[in-house]
Amino acid sequence: MELVEADAAAKKRLNWIYGGIMLGLLNTFAVATYGALGASRNYVAVDGFLLRLFGSSLTSTNSYLSGMPSQADWLLMVALGMIVGGFLAALITGTLNTRAVPRLWASRFGTSKPKRFAAAFAGGFLLLFGARIAGGCTSGLVLSGVAQLSIAGFLFAASIFATGILTAKFLYRKKAS
Amino acid sequence: MTTTLIIAQAASDTVGIVGGIGAKALIVGLLTGIAFGAILQRVGASSFEMIVNMLRLKNLTVLKFFFLAVAAGSLGIYTLDSLGTANIGIAPLYLLGITVGGLIFGVGWAISGYCPGTSLVAMGEGKIDAAITVLGGLVGALVLALTWDWIKPLLVDPLNFNANLPDVLGVKPLLVAIVLTAAIVAFVIHLDRVDAGRKPAARGSTGETPGPAATRS
Repeated sequence: MELVEADAAAKKRLNWIYGGIMLGLLNTFAVATYGALGASRNYVAVDGFLLRLFGSSLTSTNSYLSGMPSQADWLLMVALGMIVGGFLAALITGTLNTRAVPRLWASRFGTSKPKRFAAAFAGGFLLLFGARIAGGCTSGLVLSGVAQLSIAGFLFAASIFATGILTAKFLYRKKAS
Repeated sequence: MTTTLIIAQAASDTVGIVGGIGAKALIVGLLTGIAFGAILQRVGASSFEMIVNMLRLKNLTVLKFFFLAVAAGSLGIYTLDSLGTANIGIAPLYLLGITVGGLIFGVGWAISGYCPGTSLVAMGEGKIDAAITVLGGLVGALVLALTWDWIKPLLVDPLNFNANLPDVLGVKPLLVAIVLTAAIVAFVIHLDRVDAGRKPAARGSTGETPGPAATRS
């Protein structure tokens, strides 16, 4: 039997049809006002801010970091808003959840926090390392890129689902015993 | 000399900026992000279980949601574009980097259960492992920046085209967007049937209620 997330949260969810149309309209609004939605660029921008804070000169000498903004811009505020939006939506619907180990993960890999944190960290590392090679992530290259009919978006979507599905199938395969 | 300095200064102030730095741009950006985060949270797209079960092809709710959002966005964006008011940006198509980057991304996606945007949302919800994923992301992005001079000539510079679908097909963008939207909607309806067929206990055909929740009650 499949384990699903906390039932209370699952029961309160917004229907995907409404959610999908709302996100499509939001992306249209974004493109009409300042630009397409994206997330991954902000990780490099925040790296730049942190390096500046600690007095590193990498933001001017490194060829990638020197292309990052030296101040908050519209796209950075979108990322900040995503954190706030997640918090507010969870607060209002009573679905705030400070759990460290997801139930589905625990059912396969046990309840060890260090083990889950190591995987979460490694996963995050690969996500952003890969996204910045490709020049975007699920938001920038697929949600926005495919919507804007960039061929790059279609290719990226095919690539992430290829290894995403294979890895998930492998990680959560049925135990031999 | 002075002029050169001022120009250099001005250039460094605007480098890499997306969407502007004025107060209005920042406020609209924040509100846009809040709406983005709230929608992802309400649909369940920021949930580890929902993402992993999507990649295991056990529950396609997030996939349907996301594809529908792409379709609605494409139709909206190119409707605006045909009226001449959209800020459309076409992502550069470098075959090697996008494929390799995507393949690496997919592994990280399945391991973490998040993507760069949904980890931010889940962190806002209080989920501690999502905050760790964000931390890993900051380090991954930094390592990419430090190795960029080595990666760029290998994966980004070769086979690099500036291409979007309408130009390649030689068809009006709005028409391509309409066809894409129709194709995605047909695909999403198909996925919904697959989801509904797998979960006879689910209420209605929207596939919103996961099977196990229904069997538990």
